[in-house]
Amino acid sequence: MLSYFFRRLFFVVFVVWGVTFATFFIANVVPIDPAIAALGDNAREEQIKEFRERYGLDKPIWQQYLIYMGRLLSGDLGNSLRTQRPVAEDLKEFFPATLELSVAAFLVTLLLGVPAGILAALRQNKATDVTVRILALIGGATPVFFLAVLLQYVLARELDLLPVQGRLDGFTFPPPRITGLMGLDALLARDWAAFLDSLRHLVLPAFVLGLFSAAILARMTRATMLEVLSQDYIRTARAKGVPGRAVVFRHALKNASLPVLTLLGGLLGGLLSGAVLTETIFSWPGIGRYVTQSATSLDFPAVMGVTLLVGLVYALINLIVDLLYAFLDPRIRYA
Amino acid sequence: MRLVKVVGLVAALSLGGALAQDRTQTLIYGGDWSDLITMDPQVSYEFSGGLVTDNLYETLVKYEGADLSTLKPGLAESWKVDRGRDTWEITFRLRRGSKFSSGNEVTAKDVVYTFERALALKGPGSFLFTEIAQLKPGATRAVDNYAVVVSLPKTASPSSFLSILTFNIGGIVDSETVQKNARNNDFGKEWLTNNSAGSGPFRLVRWDRGSQVLLEANPNARIKPKLQRIILREIKEPAVLRTALESGEIDIAEGLTPEALRALAGNPRFKTLKADSLRLNYLGMNVKEGSPFANKLVRDAVRYSINQDELVSGLVQGNGTKIQTLIPKGLLGYDPRTPYTFDPARARRLLAQAGYPNGLEFELLVSTGICGGGIPCADIAAKVQADLAKGGFKANVKAIANAEVLRTYRAQNHQMVLVGWSPDFPDPDGNATPWANFEARSLAWRNVWNDPTAIRLTNQAALETDPSKRVALYRLLTDYVLKNGPYAVLYQPAIPIGLSVKVEGYVRNAQGQVRFENISKLP
Repeated sequence: MLSYFFRRLFFVVFVVWGVTFATFFIANVVPIDPAIAALGDNAREEQIKEFRERYGLDKPIWQQYLIYMGRLLSGDLGNSLRTQRPVAEDLKEFFPATLELSVAAFLVTLLLGVPAGILAALRQNKATDVTVRILALIGGATPVFFLAVLLQYVLARELDLLPVQGRLDGFTFPPPRITGLMGLDALLARDWAAFLDSLRHLVLPAFVLGLFSAAILARMTRATMLEVLSQDYIRTARAKGVPGRAVVFRHALKNASLPVLTLLGGLLGGLLSGAVLTETIFSWPGIGRYVTQSATSLDFPAVMGVTLLVGLVYALINLIVDLLYAFLDPRIRYA
Repeated sequence: MRLVKVVGLVAALSLGGALAQDRTQTLIYGGDWSDLITMDPQVSYEFSGGLVTDNLYETLVKYEGADLSTLKPGLAESWKVDRGRDTWEITFRLRRGSKFSSGNEVTAKDVVYTFERALALKGPGSFLFTEIAQLKPGATRAVDNYAVVVSLPKTASPSSFLSILTFNIGGIVDSETVQKNARNNDFGKEWLTNNSAGSGPFRLVRWDRGSQVLLEANPNARIKPKLQRIILREIKEPAVLRTALESGEIDIAEGLTPEALRALAGNPRFKTLKADSLRLNYLGMNVKEGSPFANKLVRDAVRYSINQDELVSGLVQGNGTKIQTLIPKGLLGYDPRTPYTFDPARARRLLAQAGYPNGLEFELLVSTGICGGGIPCADIAAKVQADLAKGGFKANVKAIANAEVLRTYRAQNHQMVLVGWSPDFPDPDGNATPWANFEARSLAWRNVWNDPTAIRLTNQAALETDPSKRVALYRLLTDYVLKNGPYAVLYQPAIPIGLSVKVEGYVRNAQGQVRFENISKLP
């Protein structure tokens, strides 16, 4: 078990190194000058020269890469060209918002996707099944920006039920920043109004972000459940007189959960890195919006920092999923 | 049953908003503030940074309302410019009793500290002090507690210096508080990035990057604001900006699309505004040897081909002003005349005369981004292309990333570009030198236009201290550049802004400054 863990960990390091290598060279074949992108039209020639020297942009690419990797090994992600402060600071500021949103969207995914999938499988080819399949199709095919703008217009602007944008109402005083997770910070400050307000602000973006994955999850759960439900041991269980509920949840669901778990790992990673559009439309200050802005201004250290962070999180999620396999299926052994 | 629960949950969540504080004392100002890097007045050189710091710090002199041509007293109650032997001696007399948010009084030593600080930190805007005003370390002296003298070389323009001082780089900081928070000789730069130490009507309470900036009334300020709290809410998407305004989440929306502005104009709950900017969108023509635009007749043909009226009323939907000379409306020396009328037949004749009877084909570079007035640059290029075709030109539009357009332009490798320009400081020289003086290595240089008459007039006008003589010189210069220069100015964009009818006293000058202390909100 332990040796498996370390082997996987080594693999994670290798993957992350590959990510740095690819990102670095992709970023550097773009024929645009980051100094001009950062300083703008009015910048003096001396300013541009000084900027290039300060950030080492005047050196050959391979040298820049070595310098970057050297710093990275000592834990320094470098300074952002755009915000002009350490990338690590920026990530600390923006990642909690993304984490909060992704976890909420993940809950939406789970709470909508799994029950819908089970329900559809149990009522195969009946009205419920058809409805779930149609809804899943719509959910999976609706572009995020369309759904977001539609919900903003109807639920926020017309019905005034939920806020349009942001993590907190402008008129609500934000709680002291401790974790960066708005809801948790509000709880820590015992500010119930801010806590409720932060929840209200989370509903729409989490739903919009989670709907797509929920649709995929529902279809996957349905398919897997159908396959498992047709197995001999389920028939045996039923024949032995095991109650229906127990058959579904103990026998079928547990065996169906393996492929679903694999999918969930990927979905969570996707939610973390795929929040760009949702964050932009809901003015959500997360790393998705941070990285888009950084990319358009060719802020290479910032893009690299986000890529590394997301790569790391992805790799960790996969590792956890692998370890969970053993827990769910006792036949799997890591030798 | 389940539906009832969901409805109940949504209703409970909606109540959260009702618990909010007094809304008439808080203004929420939405817009794209994503360029914010720092709140340090001597370092910030971004539009949003200026918008905030102008309300945290006072300057010695300032502009009031929308007027950018008359200096008004700020922290200095009076000032005078004397002609020394080889220098200009500018004396400022400070008002007594102005206080920083710390309670410390504003004195001459704070002014000296601020100016030396700007020179030492070498921020992106420091060239305003070092190059334009040619201010040297040690040239600012305190005469007594309430008087400061600044010596500038005779080659610098005192009017430019005074107008630079209205900018946030001239925002006076509390030397004692800042120095207390300084680390490793950084003049408190790191601390002032997230904190404020000024005598302005507001102080910085909190800055959540990418989300919002929270300002509160400065209890010690001389100028008492009408509102207690200002919140700058960052919303990048114009569509969301509009929905947020309509649902009452924000009071002001800056940077709407022309369509949104039209829709809001018909709604009695809102007011709309087209705020002036000092930006000019223009065509730059490379006149280097061998280029077809080196021939003045060809440049004239371009200017006669552009249907500016149609551009401004059609595509720009009125969010801009028709203008042809290089000094924008709002600055001293602005000339409202537009002698080049849309005349494609004449353009064709000029082209034939220049040796292109069968027309002229060239490349027009344009950014893939948004140009002034909220319109995609490529749309403007398409309109220009169609107009030029009527005048006998075949412009091949090439749309590329903005930074790439600038790189090509800076390397003098373009034939024609469609770009925008905003002056670095609100003085006509902020445009005249870059546009007309080849030696400044700015726009005239990029277009390889080296004209001794233009250079002479530019320098003469910059150093003239008598306003009426200055206006006359700029009239000569702008007219000369219009007819001989490498530019065809398209329009001066305006910024579409929507406001709740409850907001009163909002004025945004063309430099982008908004004095929050004058804004109030009806219940």
